[in-house]
Amino acid sequence: MSKAFKLILISTTVSAVALLYFFTDVGTAKYLPRCPFNYLTGLFCPGCGSQRAFAALLHGHLLAAGKFNLLFIVCAPLIIYSALITLINAFSTRQFSQKIFYSPLFVKGLLAIVIFFWVARNLPLYPFYLLAPHS
Amino acid sequence: MDFTAQTQQPQTPPKNWLVESILVTIFCCLPFGIAGIVFATQVNSKLASGDYQGAVSASENAARWTKIGFWIGIISVILWVVFVLFFGGMAMMSNMRNEY
Repeated sequence: MSKAFKLILISTTVSAVALLYFFTDVGTAKYLPRCPFNYLTGLFCPGCGSQRAFAALLHGHLLAAGKFNLLFIVCAPLIIYSALITLINAFSTRQFSQKIFYSPLFVKGLLAIVIFFWVARNLPLYPFYLLAPHS
Repeated sequence: MDFTAQTQQPQTPPKNWLVESILVTIFCCLPFGIAGIVFATQVNSKLASGDYQGAVSASENAARWTKIGFWIGIISVILWVVFVLFFGGMAMMSNMRNEY
């Protein structure tokens, strides 16, 4: 697969998905997939609520998105940063590296955050259950 | 001045699959995404300690788990859509009055 084709494929898919989530009521639409972990265990996974958060973010509702999934809001800048650098590298002769992703401390911190988030949002205790998806 | 620190990296660092693992974690195939992040931490710490071969094999593991998570995610979405279409169609045919 050529680089250009890959780029077109990915950006088309992302735009199509964004359009779908912009124009559907994500909370009630039955054809959108449910988290398999949540379906099987009843617990929330670190990704639960991210479909609703994505839709809220598309409408510019940052606070609502954070209530659905705070980790999504934390990681969104990282994903956008990485996507932008990949895009720039594809069109420019000068190659930029994504140094922050190669820092051992950064990745360990991120792993700790993900695991903490996963446990905390399932706890029935006061500040923690605010991390569970809610509107 | 000592330039050994800069010249010590003979090869480009192996891809650590971190961003891909984060995407898999957030978009719901979680154990695999987290396994990917764990191997990403190994890639980085092995690179930092100069163990290039170890970093390469950790990179391969990260790639494996991230891809497994990605494909299971895609397959479960497809299965879900098929399931909804099938049962949605059945429900429409059997009790059309029972709308909610």
